[in-house]
Amino acid sequence: MHNARNAMEVESSSTCALREFGCEQSLLSRPDGSSSFIQGDTSVLAGVYGPADVKVSKEIHDRATLEVLIQPKVGMSGVRERAQEQCVRETCEAALLSSLHPRSSLSLVLQIIHDDGSLLSCCLNAACMALMDAGLPMGCLFCGVTCAIDRDGRIVTDPTMQQEKESRALMTFAIDSTERKVLMSTTKGSFSVNELQQCIAVSQRASEKIFQFYRDSVRRRYSKTL
Amino acid sequence: MKETPLSNCERQFLLKAIEEKKRLDGRQTYDYRNIKITFGTDYGCCIVDIGKTRVLAQVSCELVAPKDSRPTEGILFFNLELSSMASPAFESNRQSELLVKLNRLLERCLRNSKCIDTESLCVVAGEKVWQIRVDIHVLNHDGNIMDAASIAAITALSHFRRPDVGIQGEEVTVYALEERDPIPLSVYHMPICVSFSFFQQGTYLLVDPCEREERVMDGLLVIAMNKHREICCIQSSGGIMLLKEQVLRCSKIASVKVTEITELINKALENDRKVRKDGGKFGFAESMPKERITALKTEVAPVEMTDIEEKAKEIICRTEAPSEVVSSPVVCAPGTGQVGEGLQNSWGLEEVDALEDDVGEEREEQDMREQLEEESRNAEKGDVVVISDSEEEDVVILHEGTQVKHVKKQSVDSQQLAPSTAKRRRRRKKQVI
Amino acid sequence: MFDSFKHKVGEVVLPGDVFSFASLAPDSRVEKLICGPGLRRNGDEVLVCKSGVLRHKPPNLFWVDSQQRRYVPAKGESVIGIVTTKVGDTFKVDVGGSEQASLSYLAFEGATKRNRPNVQVGDLVYAQFIIANKDMEPELVCIDSCGRANGMGVFGTDGLLFRVSLGLVRRLLVPQSEIVKDLERLFPFEMVVGMNGRVWVRARTTQQTLIVANLLESCENMTAEQRKALFLRVAGGCP
Repeated sequence: MHNARNAMEVESSSTCALREFGCEQSLLSRPDGSSSFIQGDTSVLAGVYGPADVKVSKEIHDRATLEVLIQPKVGMSGVRERAQEQCVRETCEAALLSSLHPRSSLSLVLQIIHDDGSLLSCCLNAACMALMDAGLPMGCLFCGVTCAIDRDGRIVTDPTMQQEKESRALMTFAIDSTERKVLMSTTKGSFSVNELQQCIAVSQRASEKIFQFYRDSVRRRYSKTL
Repeated sequence: MKETPLSNCERQFLLKAIEEKKRLDGRQTYDYRNIKITFGTDYGCCIVDIGKTRVLAQVSCELVAPKDSRPTEGILFFNLELSSMASPAFESNRQSELLVKLNRLLERCLRNSKCIDTESLCVVAGEKVWQIRVDIHVLNHDGNIMDAASIAAITALSHFRRPDVGIQGEEVTVYALEERDPIPLSVYHMPICVSFSFFQQGTYLLVDPCEREERVMDGLLVIAMNKHREICCIQSSGGIMLLKEQVLRCSKIASVKVTEITELINKALENDRKVRKDGGKFGFAESMPKERITALKTEVAPVEMTDIEEKAKEIICRTEAPSEVVSSPVVCAPGTGQVGEGLQNSWGLEEVDALEDDVGEEREEQDMREQLEEESRNAEKGDVVVISDSEEEDVVILHEGTQVKHVKKQSVDSQQLAPSTAKRRRRRKKQVI
Repeated sequence: MFDSFKHKVGEVVLPGDVFSFASLAPDSRVEKLICGPGLRRNGDEVLVCKSGVLRHKPPNLFWVDSQQRRYVPAKGESVIGIVTTKVGDTFKVDVGGSEQASLSYLAFEGATKRNRPNVQVGDLVYAQFIIANKDMEPELVCIDSCGRANGMGVFGTDGLLFRVSLGLVRRLLVPQSEIVKDLERLFPFEMVVGMNGRVWVRARTTQQTLIVANLLESCENMTAEQRKALFLRVAGGCP
């Protein structure tokens, strides 16, 4: 028993682990779909409306118009948020079957509740759960994984704010659930090709935990025979 | 997005129910919905729920130059935002009438009532003072945003700690939270808004209206009060004529409600303080309702990474090395550098050709397409073929044989093949001619 | 041939789950498979595009039962709409979808060019979709194919309209629905259930109407036992 416990501690102190994560769906009454996703202390709340009416100026004749808004907790959204919005939007567009709802609008609002590192991946996860809650047709699910490479070249998955600050490079990948392909990647800092490939491989591994979590939480949700 | 219209049936029913002293959720006329306060991990961060209405408040601070008129006072700044998450009718970044009204009311309730000691926020008179900023986000709108926002704002302000500062001569040092214990703001009193909605020209009155009640009400009276029964701000809107007795009765109800809510806030603050002191877990992650069927939480999940390195190496080995780059920088004038000197633009020439051969265009295009197809058939031996033959540059990627799984590889391949096969149509046309 | 599929029935499926029929011999593929909501055919595969429980109705109908709030019009479904405007000869009706549906004033029982139905803006209509298609404006009618009202038309001068999830609405509309049966034991009331998640209720008194509305809203995530216990408590409270 004691040995086993020690082994566990070694495991958890090794850099590769996802912090404890959790999710609640349908927690807001107004949006068509909502979720709050928590990774460690990082927390994001997502709300989805749609398919709803669309402004004529934004109408697309053969698919739905997807708008993503990321709202920081303090102050107005700036360039950083705009860039993150684009990352999330492109990932969602890849997963959603938006051609099934032409000339309509889908709007996804992400409110940052607390940022303690790996914010973009938390946004992606919250977005996916909210889209699923809204019942929008999707070809696949997606999840976000952030990897940091620290100064000694070790890979840290799901880094905290502190780990992010100490890192040499930071990468976030969106990974799809069917073939574990990379839907979106964004990086900061410098790294070698080898390190990039390692990070992708680690993220693909980590994504399996998250997808399993998605399945477990949906299973829990439909566990009652109504 | 449009809001769902309110049907005549709902309007009539609501008014009839109010006449009978009945409310949609079974409350009594003077009842508040359930109020819940949760604190975040940061100081000065809280979420307040009133029924299904939910707002998030965060207090932050920053050293700024004071206003010229008040050189020894800190600055309080409020910013309430109606997020488009809260209701489909709200648009982000738009100054709607409701938004202006709520922001102004919040300022009057909290800044003008002098509930925070702004003089203690002065660091160097006339030069540096703290600006305390309160950001409030409405996350879900089910009526009575004002009360929720005012509770959230005062709770967040009472919870907030600003970093300590040290002054040595001219130099001001701000100590990090780890270096010195942060300092709470001095809160003199807690003004809390209580909303009353009036129906049938003021005949009926409800406390804490929900969203549907707000849509049929005639007028609204907001009273901000503290537990010492001092009215901090009062506002009547909707153009109803209220009698003196009605306002007095409202203020009496408000004093009871404010006492209750203040007690709740103090209890919540005390609870959070205790948890933080004892080193227990706190923050939103802890307050997630685990018993709910829609919620799930996992423990720390280790990620297996035994064969990660081999996998990465394998991928890199499988990718072809990028072609040798022969750079030929040319210096054509002192102070400039240029690569790619000598290439001529063929666009202008084509344009002339195209005009001349307008008649033969169609036939040519057909020829060209055939040729392209032939080429693509030849090229199919390769892994990825990229054909770009329209002006919009539609990219067609044909996968052949085993699927190219790794993104890196794919991109390298396409880069290599692209210049050889994916030329613009016009260039190709030129070759045909 | 749908064995791989059938033993998944009753289980939770997620978007991206794929059921492949490619391995089957070509001659055994004559059997047809009907994909209901949440399922899409993609070549030899069936792709799940909504999360929920996989359901099956013999002989070969499969669909995903999901909890959703937003309504997407479907042909033949009956919904509760709110009239928002009158445009020429048609009414524009809000049904909760992405676009307002149109309802011709001639699509009421006994309506002629002279004898127009009395419909005001803000009225509730119970109507059926005759056109519901992702590329076209949805169109409602308040008559069946024989020109009879058949329960449709303007309604609800009093009573209460409220919104529940689409999953709950489907459970209410199941023939011999348990929830409705349980409710009926409390006291008599009238109810109109639209497939778009809107429910209209009228009981003898305002109090009773409110009780029914609140009970229905709370049924969302309750098991049968929990519901029965709650209903018993309510029945005890108001004889």
